[in-house]
Amino acid sequence: MTNAKEKRPFMKVAIAAAGLVAALTIAACGSTGGTDNTDVPTAQGGKASGTLNISNWPLYIDEETVNDFEKKTGIKVNYTEDVNSNTDFFGKVQPLLSNGDSGGRSILVVTDWMSQKMWDLGYLQKLDPNELTTVFDNLIPSLQDPAFDPGRGYSIPWQSGMTGLVVRTDLAPDIKSVNDLFDPKYKGKVTMLDELRDSAALVMKGDGVDPTEASTEEWLAAVDKVKQAKEDGQIRRFTGNDYVQDLAKGDVVAAIGWSGDAVQAQADNPNIEYIQPEQGCILWSDNMSIPVGAPNSPAAYEFMNYVYEPENQAQIVEYVNYISPVKGVKEILQKKDPALAESDLIFPSEEFLSKCSNQTSPPGDEAQKKEVENAWLSVVEG
Amino acid sequence: MTTLRRRLVPYGLLGPGLLWLVLFFVVPMVFMGWFSLSSGSLESGWSWTWAFSNYTDAISEYSTQFGRSFLYAGAATILCLLLGYPLAYAIAFKGGRWRNLMLFAVIAPFFTTYLIRTIAWKTILADDSPVVEVLKFLQLVPQDGRVLATSAAVIAGLTYNFLPFMVLPLYASLERLDLRLLEASKDLYASARLTFLKVTLPLTAPGIVAGVLLTFIPAVGDYVNATFLGGTNQSMIGNVIQAQYLVINDYATAAALSFSLMIIIMIAVVLYIRFAGSEALMGDEEEAK
Repeated sequence: MTNAKEKRPFMKVAIAAAGLVAALTIAACGSTGGTDNTDVPTAQGGKASGTLNISNWPLYIDEETVNDFEKKTGIKVNYTEDVNSNTDFFGKVQPLLSNGDSGGRSILVVTDWMSQKMWDLGYLQKLDPNELTTVFDNLIPSLQDPAFDPGRGYSIPWQSGMTGLVVRTDLAPDIKSVNDLFDPKYKGKVTMLDELRDSAALVMKGDGVDPTEASTEEWLAAVDKVKQAKEDGQIRRFTGNDYVQDLAKGDVVAAIGWSGDAVQAQADNPNIEYIQPEQGCILWSDNMSIPVGAPNSPAAYEFMNYVYEPENQAQIVEYVNYISPVKGVKEILQKKDPALAESDLIFPSEEFLSKCSNQTSPPGDEAQKKEVENAWLSVVEG
Repeated sequence: MTTLRRRLVPYGLLGPGLLWLVLFFVVPMVFMGWFSLSSGSLESGWSWTWAFSNYTDAISEYSTQFGRSFLYAGAATILCLLLGYPLAYAIAFKGGRWRNLMLFAVIAPFFTTYLIRTIAWKTILADDSPVVEVLKFLQLVPQDGRVLATSAAVIAGLTYNFLPFMVLPLYASLERLDLRLLEASKDLYASARLTFLKVTLPLTAPGIVAGVLLTFIPAVGDYVNATFLGGTNQSMIGNVIQAQYLVINDYATAAALSFSLMIIIMIAVVLYIRFAGSEALMGDEEEAK
């Protein structure tokens, strides 16, 4: 038996396999088209039962709410904390959603701009207000008509928060304004979030520009300002949630960060404090939505209504320390935990929020948006 | 019967592996290749347009990060070799009955996840950590300087994380070394240094080549070390690809960058094996002569 004889049928198999791959690929590539939301369905209501799969952010619910809900309704809940960042989560679920598959999820929770992006791509179902009576009875007025979803047709707020300054008050007591982050005194001791819509928007506010009204040029100018500071060595790092550890160690004295993180970190280290910038903050909400292809939407409606009962909501707020979108929670907490009820970070007064802007994406068409996003990326990943 | 069976055996053995590679390597690669020459966006969909500009744009825009990746990975590989060779040598020849324990110690960090090990370095290199204080005392780091969030931290992290990939192949080739050859060299009045250069080193060259490849290739594409230990000017090409793909959903640029990286690595490896490694890999043939 020679080697040559052995090889030939082998090659045939290899060629056949290659052909199969090519055929599969061409078939699959043909379906990589764009999507829109002209014909998204409305999530069906009805009698709730069965299993409910929820995707939410880590540390965003107390340990009892899900159990209580299961006991009350008989619905089995798989509550997964698999949303670590809007962009990473989107990257993970996009291939599924573009095929009309939710990966078994009936509720997912993402931030305003990502809710809008998913809606624009046709990945979210319309919500039926008749199924959400508790929600609409208790939703606070300021969140009823956001610019991206007036009347709340596809997104229901989970919690809201502020992007501002998180400061080691013992190491940098004089930081009050966004522009103090650029003080050479704190060179290499400052971090910013790697999210354009948080950091660039806040820096813009420091220069007196309202991000919700800003032009592409103004966004680019803010990105440039950050770039300059980075090149000067002023900014130590661009971070996700991990800026809290840097602050705790004292490697960093001031960061652009999120209010709820600061409340939680302060419990461990009293010197870490959220400072509302003189120029105001960036306000955002994370929203519950029902994705396309979601199984068991009646149970999803049931859950949304459940967490909008003020008593149930108070239990969540007590744990997560973000701003609640539900009316009547403050009154309940005043009895249970007066210190929380008085916190400006959890129940901010109108005055505390007076200068804040809602979080928004850069303006313009796709190309203009992309220009800003690319500019930001090359700063963050420089 | 038996001949048929004998003919089918190689297919049976190769089949599962081949299928695995075709499904999980070749198919995704073809997809990536398709994306890398497409234009469009998530909103409007992607279409195949022979957009070679994806490659030229991506490479010119991110040449710094490409260069940096090769620099960091190269530095880490050299450091791994400098640390790993004496280590593997000591374990193989001087380990005695501690040999297995020492090998275990080399592999032990693998029992902890990569991520945790890297994040632990943030504590080790924190601004007021003992390590940094000592470095400052030795004037290796300026008084107002830092280690974390610098290139040094990223290279240190890479070196630490990939050291076992260097040590294990080195150990395997050192352990197989025929000690009689070293004795022969000594008998012929070669100095210890000459013995090492003329006998030990050439005979363990396959281990060096394997170790260098196993360290360098994953290190070039790494992004975890730069994410946690780097600062604002330490992003490697892996970080850019991750951000292009997941942050701004520019799949075409991400795919073009991935392919470029792959091609550059392939060229580098081929050149390396040709020049540095040919003697090592051809060693068998020369022996046969």
